[in-house]
Amino acid sequence: MKRLTGTRTIVVMILATIFGLVVTFPIYYMVAGSFFSIREFSSFPPTIVPSTIRLHNFQRAINESPLIRFMLNSLISASVGAILRIAIATLSAFAFVYKEFKAKKLLFIVILATMLLPADALILENYILISRLGLIDTYLGIISIHLLAPVQMFMLRQIFKSIPITYREAASIDGCGDVRFLIRIVTPMSRSIMLIFLLQSFVTIWNSYLWPLLVTNDTTMRTVQVGITLLSYAENLDFGPVFAAISLVVLPSILLFLVFRKRIVEGVVSGSLG
Amino acid sequence: MNNADGIKKPRKRKNQISGFLYILPALFIALLFSYRPFVKTIINSLSIVNYSGTIIDVAGLDNFKRLFADRNFLTSLTNTFRFAVMFVPLNLLVCIILALLVYRKRKGTAFNESLFIMPLSVAMSSAAIVFQALFNPTIGVINFLFNVQVQWFNDPKWAMWVIVILCIWMAMGLDFLLLVGALRSIPKEVLEAAELDGSNRLQTFFHIQIPLISPTLMFVIANRLRDSMLLSGPVLVMTEGGPFRSTQTLVYQMYVEGFKSGNYSMGSAISVIVFLLSLAMIAVSFRFERKGVFYQ
Repeated sequence: MKRLTGTRTIVVMILATIFGLVVTFPIYYMVAGSFFSIREFSSFPPTIVPSTIRLHNFQRAINESPLIRFMLNSLISASVGAILRIAIATLSAFAFVYKEFKAKKLLFIVILATMLLPADALILENYILISRLGLIDTYLGIISIHLLAPVQMFMLRQIFKSIPITYREAASIDGCGDVRFLIRIVTPMSRSIMLIFLLQSFVTIWNSYLWPLLVTNDTTMRTVQVGITLLSYAENLDFGPVFAAISLVVLPSILLFLVFRKRIVEGVVSGSLG
Repeated sequence: MNNADGIKKPRKRKNQISGFLYILPALFIALLFSYRPFVKTIINSLSIVNYSGTIIDVAGLDNFKRLFADRNFLTSLTNTFRFAVMFVPLNLLVCIILALLVYRKRKGTAFNESLFIMPLSVAMSSAAIVFQALFNPTIGVINFLFNVQVQWFNDPKWAMWVIVILCIWMAMGLDFLLLVGALRSIPKEVLEAAELDGSNRLQTFFHIQIPLISPTLMFVIANRLRDSMLLSGPVLVMTEGGPFRSTQTLVYQMYVEGFKSGNYSMGSAISVIVFLLSLAMIAVSFRFERKGVFYQ
């Protein structure tokens, strides 16, 4: 490909930057808005830059609402969920590569085909099940429907397949059992993709909305994404504390995003193509 | 040989059982949270179910007949398609433009890319609240910037547009990445050859780049059509189906029927429709793909 030269490059660069700024404006506005006073929010013309850096909104968000508790709930369910999810996917991918058992191909398809059943269309029945099991307002309830990640299982199977079979043979000769082989050899060799999957699962569970909205009733068990929509400030156009809360919730993921940009990009692209 | 067989046999059986044990958790969850509710939803949609979720009587296709005679449901159906028709092409257009701007590596492309995919780090409900403020008719930045007085959330003509714009904003990070990846994977020689043959930028784009990235285009379209059939989150957070049901979608109505009204039969019937539609969208895309897509 010929490198673009001269004015055309400059035009393209300017256009790309303008688009980039438009795309990121809502994020900027969210962060800026968390420093606005009530008056700045309702001013005309609208305020774009906060007059001072005041932490008032953050204090209100934390003191007047169970925001910290919401974040804790999300943190617990997202991390436990992400770990269980990768463990379950890894175990089945491992079996599908290194084990022989009856109906292996069929079972593989059975698990993979859950991709075609959209979770949102199954939510009524799953809700009834969770409530009958008495798992409303529990972390297990929040995590439950996220435990299976067929795409991750599929991708891990592809990666395990690429590990030379001689490793397996050498390991068995040395008396290394399945579990040790999985933990000592297979897992370290697929560490980077597993890290991406962990991050991805964490974000998926952290960001989920409809399911945790249904399976939590108690304020103290709400996850952060549900919790912030229940803060009643916005009804009074008092967006400040809500924006502060959202910024607190989003900033960690933006930072993670900037640090792991390359890896997340690879993971996102390969994950969605799986 | 005999000896080797002798060792192999018991190990094989052990392998059988342990292999099955390894996939048991995944299988259990697949059955419990995907296949069981799937079958149950179909059965419920053909039955009369009380508010605690127990089947009382067989209804046959009555639920579906009632559904299609119901204005409310037809509104949800139309709205869902209206959303798909607005969202899918516009999202594709935006993402192609973004991808074309940066697919040739130059100074600053990495920076621009980071900006384009930044929305991926914001969750739906957070984004929805920020957009609610941006589109607020009195204090919002959008009305001021474009110097208009649109009542975004009170005017049935406009409320869906806010949801479409929000959904594009949330979807474009991923779709942009897929398209830019596809554009970059076209071999340089192909583009150079076209240029030597006197093809201009526009011709190259329509006759070479578009056909070569068509598998990715189809993937994006299929995926987003399916997502459109499942739209509910932004509706729940921003509009609750209003104003005048203008943003009420199928999954939103399913949620209302099932959880607010305790009408599980109708909720399940809507689920079945949603399920069929989402499968149909994938099937149609694949069918179209076989005809229109060029594979290398």
